[in-house]
Amino acid sequence: MVNAITTENVNVFYGDKQAINNISLNFLKNKVTALIGPSGCGKSTFLRCLNRMNDVIEICRVEGKISINDQDIYKDQIEVEQLREKVGMVFQKPNPFPKSIYDNVAYGPRIHGFTDKKNEMDEIVATALKKAGLFEEVKDRLDDLGTSLSGGQQQRLCIARAIAVKPEVILMDEPCSALDPIATSIIEELITELKESYTIIIVTHSMQQAARVSDKTAFFHLGNLIEEGDTTKIFTKPDNQKTNDYITGRFG
Amino acid sequence: MTNLIKRKKAETRFQLYGIFAVSLSLLFVLTLIVNIFSSGVGGFYKTSFLMEIYFDQKLLKLEDSPSSEQIEDASFRKLISHNFKENFSQYSKDEIKQIKKLFYRKIDKETQSYLLKNPEYLNQKVELLFTASTDIDQIHKGNFNRNIPEKQRSINNFQLGIYDQFIETGKVKKVFNKRYFTSGDSRDPESAGVASSVMGSVFTILICFLLSFPIAIFASIYLEEFAKSGKVTDLIEININNLAAVPSIIFGLLGLGILLNFFGLPRSTSLVGGMVLSFMTLPTIIVACRSSLRAVPPSIREGALALGATKNQVVFHHVLPLAMPGTLTGTIIGLARAVGETAPLLMIGMVAFIMNVPNTPLEPAVGMPAQIYLWSESAERGFIEKTSSAIILLLIFLIVVNFVSVYFRKKYEKKW
Repeated sequence: MVNAITTENVNVFYGDKQAINNISLNFLKNKVTALIGPSGCGKSTFLRCLNRMNDVIEICRVEGKISINDQDIYKDQIEVEQLREKVGMVFQKPNPFPKSIYDNVAYGPRIHGFTDKKNEMDEIVATALKKAGLFEEVKDRLDDLGTSLSGGQQQRLCIARAIAVKPEVILMDEPCSALDPIATSIIEELITELKESYTIIIVTHSMQQAARVSDKTAFFHLGNLIEEGDTTKIFTKPDNQKTNDYITGRFG
Repeated sequence: MTNLIKRKKAETRFQLYGIFAVSLSLLFVLTLIVNIFSSGVGGFYKTSFLMEIYFDQKLLKLEDSPSSEQIEDASFRKLISHNFKENFSQYSKDEIKQIKKLFYRKIDKETQSYLLKNPEYLNQKVELLFTASTDIDQIHKGNFNRNIPEKQRSINNFQLGIYDQFIETGKVKKVFNKRYFTSGDSRDPESAGVASSVMGSVFTILICFLLSFPIAIFASIYLEEFAKSGKVTDLIEININNLAAVPSIIFGLLGLGILLNFFGLPRSTSLVGGMVLSFMTLPTIIVACRSSLRAVPPSIREGALALGATKNQVVFHHVLPLAMPGTLTGTIIGLARAVGETAPLLMIGMVAFIMNVPNTPLEPAVGMPAQIYLWSESAERGFIEKTSSAIILLLIFLIVVNFVSVYFRKKYEKKW
């Protein structure tokens, strides 16, 4: 088993407030890892450390070591833009750009200079849309606005947008919380398909979703990592009492 | 139940207040428009008289088929007085003098320009239109009561008789006043025009836009997207917001002190006017642009950042285009205010008597509001009408600017 991302003693501070306490957690390649826990437990904060999205927040400070392919991502040897090319992200609320479906998907490849040729770009866009399971639905209206799609389609467009940059890891921050059950099940199927080619880390509030899609699960509580391990084990016989209370719905 | 009736009544009452307020403001606007239009539309027309002129080669001392230069050098005075003598042969010399006063005093120049345009008139008798004097023009348009005692008017009873005679014989025409749109200011209401002030305003606004729009956008982007929040940024923010409320004449003083006295830029020019107005417009545009930038959802920024876009790319590819419609609205408001501004221009000498239509922003010019102000101060009755006409033009100018920018804004919004 190869680790896609390793983290050691990660501490995150918002100003004086510590949001993450000394977390060390590894993510296996081509597996789905679910981060679960009650609201405000720091799972999204931790996720956003992995592609340095927390850099945007001025008062946020990250300590510890996070490595991708043995490269420390908070050291200068890797530019943050390069990192994000390798580690894509899908957000809680679908956030397609107010541009055409085609331009949404082509934006990443364009800024990273994958190709100048129109037909090659068409190919990249089509492949990404196919992988995201959206191609059949939108192939005749690639010039329509991405924002004109339905919620579920928008989220798949965002996944296609992330895939088009050819990342190794895809971070998903509660990708289904704004979607209806049918759209959610489509995205969940998609996640299962995508793990063939990508390492996926998903933050979710839905225990059922974590149980359905993930291979590994990590339970967070108040900025601490309480327990991690195989999903089946966490959901059937967790070691920690807190984990047990949470998955059985006694708090959170 | 009674409570509900009370609540409903309160609602009805509130609606009535609203309707009253709206009608009152509409009434004010209507009064203004009706008033300005009723007194100003006449300014676009002028009264002219038909008169026969014999272009006598000898009186003009011209050779056969003269060149334009020769015509320009010729004096038309003699020709005019000779023609008046011929046309009004039944009147005495003194009476002819009075008849001549019914015409614009530069009738010789008008005759000259006719011949310049139509050299074949030489040695021919042609019936041509000549501009009436401003006094008779005002009487003809009904702006001046001709029934007041003779002593109180500049047109005497004899002249009025001749004018009535002209009307009976169909010699009085109301024609479109082309000169009003093509010439600059003049001491004579007959030949005063708005061209120099319109060009002055156009140049001033152009300079103002070219300076303030890009500077404001770059300043806003830097402050909103790149600058670290801190005491310095806060101080700058407070100052920009305060600048938007500074009385405009202060900006004029600033222009006078810095642009004219320190940098020695030419006085009374649209260049300096535009620069001064851009000082004034900058804060307005910056405030509008910053709030539009802030209104762009953070999810768009995050989406682009997560794809590996640099901050610069995020701003220019995603955030700025989305903030553009709001910024344009702020720009329109700022520029519309600048177009109507007089006070700062007073300080840098853009309230001058400008006869020539400026061709570049480096020539002395006057803005439309300043022109309106200058004319409103003039003693001649004819200028009252000119003032209103200029106000109409200024309003049309503003409406056109508004429509153009709304069009561009809509177009921009559609693309996105």
